[in-house]
Amino acid sequence: MGAFASLMKGMFGSKEMRILMVGLDAAGKTTVLYKLKLGEVVTTIPTIGFNVETVEYKNINFTVWDVGGQDKIRPLWRHYFQNTQAVVFVVDSNDRERIGEAKEELMRMLAEDELADAKLLVFANKQDLPNAMNAAEITDKLALHTLCNRNWYIQATCATTGDGIYEGLNWLAMTIKKKK
Amino acid sequence: MQRNKQVAMGRKKFNMDPKKGIQFLIENDLLKNTSDDIAQFLYKGEGLNKTAIGDYLGERDDFNLEVLHAFVELHEFTDLNLVQALRQFLWSFRLPGEAQKIDRMMESFAQRYCKCNPGVFQSTDTCYILSFAIIMLNTSLHNPNVKDKPAVERFISMNRGINEGGDLPEDLLRNLYDSIKNEPFKIPEDDGNDLTHTFFNPDREGWLLKLGGGRVKTWKRRWFILTDNCLYYFEYTTDKEPRGIIPLENLSIKEVEDKKPNCFELFIPDNKDQVIKACKTEADGRVVEGNHTFYRISAPTTEEKDEWMNSIKAAISRDPFYEMLAARKKKVSSMKRH
Repeated sequence: MGAFASLMKGMFGSKEMRILMVGLDAAGKTTVLYKLKLGEVVTTIPTIGFNVETVEYKNINFTVWDVGGQDKIRPLWRHYFQNTQAVVFVVDSNDRERIGEAKEELMRMLAEDELADAKLLVFANKQDLPNAMNAAEITDKLALHTLCNRNWYIQATCATTGDGIYEGLNWLAMTIKKKK
Repeated sequence: MQRNKQVAMGRKKFNMDPKKGIQFLIENDLLKNTSDDIAQFLYKGEGLNKTAIGDYLGERDDFNLEVLHAFVELHEFTDLNLVQALRQFLWSFRLPGEAQKIDRMMESFAQRYCKCNPGVFQSTDTCYILSFAIIMLNTSLHNPNVKDKPAVERFISMNRGINEGGDLPEDLLRNLYDSIKNEPFKIPEDDGNDLTHTFFNPDREGWLLKLGGGRVKTWKRRWFILTDNCLYYFEYTTDKEPRGIIPLENLSIKEVEDKKPNCFELFIPDNKDQVIKACKTEADGRVVEGNHTFYRISAPTTEEKDEWMNSIKAAISRDPFYEMLAARKKKVSSMKRH
């Protein structure tokens, strides 16, 4: 990019935003990622590796990585945590058995130094299921109110229909813009 | 024969829904309900979609994990370097994109690699973390959605301390980086076909030779599928579109002698010169009407010829209206000639 073009981009263009998507197995991360792409016809060359999607929304370029795995590989992710503006935590609202496990996973993630300033967006997913806990209940179970110095937001979603996903992104976009 | 057909059906079910496919094969005694047998079936992979294999192996429950371990044990990695071994491993199924699944698969892979190559790594964990880092590298370097491509220095610093607290030799990491940068992991080619919806449970399928319809008649090997009173033929078993479709309505079938063995012929009874209603796809993708007044087909064995002839006979339907129309057309054209 030329100097002028990059200046223009800095003034009017889109901001880059790096997001990590975290959550237990089968919480619905992949479905959320695919729904982000909705409406955009992009034929990207398939790549062996982690799910990564980019989406432009309200002049912000979101790059979302599917992140996770055991503690042993966490040192590897730390390099990606730097310059990460937000963590999207996807939770299966219907899985009462593993909500405790989900909370532990979330807390482990937020304890990372590199993520101290990252915003937290929680997707209380699978709201279409009859036995799903609502956003208030999830807030309680994940102990979100105990979080100090963390800018967080919870959004009820149904990733399969896409309900709630853009509301969540909207919050992220607003929060990022307010900061500047 | 019935068994083969059921296995084929099981494979197709597997490609649509891996769990249901496996369940079907087990219920019909075509596969033993042990992790070893299922792993063998997936490792052979005949007719299986590699994404479906990856989905099955990525499931979190205990039994699927057992199958994953048994599957990995079937790979031979002795004397391969880590990237070579990974390339081989990642060709046998399509690696899912979920981090937790990749995590389990790399852990399992590393155990096998270290078993095949004792002494290469200080510990299995080192191998596992490095394998995981290589997948991250492949994603960063080659996924177009990742904007900032890491330089080799970043890859090296990322892997600091993963060797039981110490560092791996820098040369090794540089070599790994270059290898992945120059040659991304290949997307494994599918063995399973995508015609699962159209050609689910066909009456019969197999390789046959077909005599061309053009002026210069040549024998071509084609994959034939008989279903819904139609005969479809393909260039490859994995082709998504058939090369030709022959509706069997009002056709007849007979054995014929030819230089090729086990021949039979599809023809229009009482009307030798009429072109059989059919279509085929030209090399440029255009779909055109067929030009055959008869289809001559050669089967590999006498038994297969008999089976094909019986199946086709059973699939031929008669439409009296069509015959009436054909008779009238014939009459009109003969009147014109006189």
